[in-house]
Amino acid sequence: MPTAPASFLDPAMLARISDLALLARTVVDGFMHGHHRSMRKGSSTDFAQHRAYQPGDDLRRIDWRLLGRTDRFYMKEFEADTNASVLFALDSSASMDYGSKGVTKYDYGRFLIASLAWLSQQQGDRVGLATFKGDIVDVVPPSVRHLQLLLHTLGRSKATGAGSLATPVQRLAHMTRKAGITVLVTDCYESPEELGRCADALRMRGQDLIIFHVVDAAERDFPFTAAATFEDSESKTRIAVRPDDLRKRYLEQARAHHAAVAKRLVASGADFVRVDTDQPLDRALHAYLDRRLARSRVR
Amino acid sequence: MGFLVPAFLAGFVAVVVPIVLHLRHRDKDTPHRFPSLMFVERLPIRTAQRRRITDWPLLLLRALAITLLVLAFARPLWSRPGVIRSSQGDRTVIVLLDRSMSMGHTGVWPRAVEEARRAIAGLGTTDRVALVLFDDEAEIAQALTTDKNLALAALANAKTGTAGTRFAAGLRAARQIATDARTGSAPIDVVLVTDMQRSGLSGLAGLEIPSTMRVRTVGLSPTTPRANASVAVTEARPIANAGRERLAVTAHVTSRSMGPGRPMTAMLRLNGRPSGTRVLTVNATGDTKIAFEPVAIPVGLVRGEVTIDADSLAADDTARFTLTSNDEVRVLLVAPDDAERDETLYIERALAVGRAPSVRLQRVRPSAIDADELRDVALVLLWDSPLPNGRALDALRAWTTRGGGLVQLAGRRLGRRSSSATLLPASVSSVADRSDDRGGSLGDVRIDHPLLAPFRETPAALVAPRFLRHARLDPANGGEVVARFDDGSAAIVERTEGTGRVIELGMPLDARAGDFPLQPAYVPFVRRLVLYATGRAATPLARGTGESWLLPAAAREPVVSTPDGSIVRPTRDSRATSVPLRTAGIYALHDGQTRGTPVAELAVNTPAAESDLATITDADLLAGIRRGDASTMTSEAPPAPAEIERRQGLWRIVIGVLVVLLLLEMLMASRGWRAVANPVTSVPSSGEGS
Repeated sequence: MPTAPASFLDPAMLARISDLALLARTVVDGFMHGHHRSMRKGSSTDFAQHRAYQPGDDLRRIDWRLLGRTDRFYMKEFEADTNASVLFALDSSASMDYGSKGVTKYDYGRFLIASLAWLSQQQGDRVGLATFKGDIVDVVPPSVRHLQLLLHTLGRSKATGAGSLATPVQRLAHMTRKAGITVLVTDCYESPEELGRCADALRMRGQDLIIFHVVDAAERDFPFTAAATFEDSESKTRIAVRPDDLRKRYLEQARAHHAAVAKRLVASGADFVRVDTDQPLDRALHAYLDRRLARSRVR
Repeated sequence: MGFLVPAFLAGFVAVVVPIVLHLRHRDKDTPHRFPSLMFVERLPIRTAQRRRITDWPLLLLRALAITLLVLAFARPLWSRPGVIRSSQGDRTVIVLLDRSMSMGHTGVWPRAVEEARRAIAGLGTTDRVALVLFDDEAEIAQALTTDKNLALAALANAKTGTAGTRFAAGLRAARQIATDARTGSAPIDVVLVTDMQRSGLSGLAGLEIPSTMRVRTVGLSPTTPRANASVAVTEARPIANAGRERLAVTAHVTSRSMGPGRPMTAMLRLNGRPSGTRVLTVNATGDTKIAFEPVAIPVGLVRGEVTIDADSLAADDTARFTLTSNDEVRVLLVAPDDAERDETLYIERALAVGRAPSVRLQRVRPSAIDADELRDVALVLLWDSPLPNGRALDALRAWTTRGGGLVQLAGRRLGRRSSSATLLPASVSSVADRSDDRGGSLGDVRIDHPLLAPFRETPAALVAPRFLRHARLDPANGGEVVARFDDGSAAIVERTEGTGRVIELGMPLDARAGDFPLQPAYVPFVRRLVLYATGRAATPLARGTGESWLLPAAAREPVVSTPDGSIVRPTRDSRATSVPLRTAGIYALHDGQTRGTPVAELAVNTPAAESDLATITDADLLAGIRRGDASTMTSEAPPAPAEIERRQGLWRIVIGVLVVLLLLEMLMASRGWRAVANPVTSVPSSGEGS
């Protein structure tokens, strides 16, 4: 798959764009540069209205029954049909509001969701949004007309307070009535088993689940050297540590956790994509499109 | 040790503040915010050090500073004076010298002074001595001192008085000195120099003295009873003699242990001039009445005295009295035409009792009341009679407004009329027949009312009378109920009209409707009723030393000259002004200045009990005294301001120490390793590397 120019997908560059719509368009246009085959799939079957025949119209859409009654050619028009309902769920807990290199995990998640939503809109999908921490904060129901609302809601949301996945995800599972795609963007500070249960709940509702695990470079590498007191963003717990003494064990713990999470989510049938905030967005976009295409093939 | 404001001790809770702050102490640098410490918390980092106290000196210093601050606010108080230990063998002696009138008996006082001098002179140079002079009150002539000369000088100035004896006063003063002496368990010797007069036992029962106080009496009384004769004036009243008003004076001579059939001369003096002499023979023991020939009454204030031949105790050989000529209250008894003579018999006889002022009763018919008749009348007594009508009522109202007293006694006649008038404080609605319940009685009595002042000590005397029939009064016109019957109806109602007093009585004062005239309370009640309604006060012929003189309100700026020549200017306030009577003689009340004719005079005599020289033994004296724990004995007198300040001055020391501590804390906290932020250290656990 061709790769988009990095300048269009670099998070640091994207962080300068305040308009999420513009950002998403920039990302998607940049990302889609070079793609020649149409991404549009299928058509609608819901009747909308009749109109007079125009030369060049597809003869298959002529309403023959109406022709028999009126002796005139009328074309049947249908509502544009989307192929899927995509719900983006963004973790808005305080732990997401962390960025060691300019872009916070939350900003990165917002860029990612805006881009994916724009991409989905281009394909005629219904897009919706849910932000959550301890519980669901904002919900934009999936619709073909909700992209701007989604982007607006995404733009004003903030990452604060303590959060957990279990309750909001359970509620999201109950809210999804149609089979579709749920895109969960979180930093996965939950036990693997808890994340697995959340994935199971969504999968049980017929949702294809893509989990983007957003990781900051500092979380990944634990680059601290000076002794300091660390404060948990959510619980406000303070622990005095000497990072040099802890780094090795910390990284072991983090890697073990990430592996366990990935293993459990895969076992639940979810796609687990780890995205680092210092990496371009294309990896995430590719992962999404792969899942989207796979779903199209299934249907 | 106590605290002046113990509530501030609750501030001790604040001691936990530095401890909590210490335990919760965090580094001074800004903590490093991290998304989640989930992985770090799993690592075995020893954080217990944070929960330990790491800087004990600083913590203790701060906790101590808070403790001292709380103590300073609570104002520590030395409630018990510190014990002053005298050196080995030092003694503390309190000399109680009786200076009552009986000590003036021939030869007693010099012996008493000599005994006191001997007790003082016999002390060592380091011994402490105090001198207390007492009669019915005590005076600390010399507080505890090691300078015996001071005590001897005070003793040299002592002299006998004319007051009575009260051992309790002297012993209380000695207890006060002993308590203030702070001698702890060291014994205190009390030398009581007295003639051991029996009358001095008053108030001694139950007196508590420290167990360390050893009372030793120096009895001065001879083994044989001492002879004494005293005189008292019992009556001095104006009488009409051959058409002229004269003064009849009666006195009694009380003799004790005198020789049989001893002749004696008694002389009466009025305003300093001899006005009569009687020669009498007094019995060995008993009273002898002296009735002087009536003499002409001097005009105005009269000072009189009766003197008998001087004996061994001269102070009680003169009895003084004062009176005002023409001091009588004229009362109009308005009785209905059908009233029988014996109906008002009891009240007429009762009002005839008493002098200064005496009551001159005039019985008139209701129709006789007019402005002329009311002239020079102090009280109108309506005996079951209604108020007059027309001009007579107007005259009566005007006379009352100017200060006249009006009393209506409601009986069966008024009960039938159901009278009511705006001048009276109550209307009579009916007559209650209480024969079925054996008569009613007074049930709710305002014993604090001036009308009932004679019964404050014996309120039961007022509820003893039974009333078979009494009027039912309905208070009106702002009438104030002074007493009620036991069925709740008003018995005595009062109101004021101008400067006069109007009283309505529902209780019968005759013997037909009740037994009140036969009760002991009848005469004092009736006399008090007249005096109160007329705004007068009874003036005794004389009072005794130790009492007080309730000054009449006639003097706006009262100035009292006493028998010893001193001038007393009592402070007049909202309460009645009184002057203590310490010396026998004539007290004169002036208005503003002592020159001119006094407003009033009062004769003060020695107390009659003091003339009885019967003695008691040491056992009798000490029988009623209780021994208390010296440590729990408290001082009755308030400590001196300097003493109060000394006891409360501890807070200054506490504040001083607190300031020093705070300075030390500042130095400790800002110097050395404490001045920098604590380095963050994580202590590898035992499981590290595993």
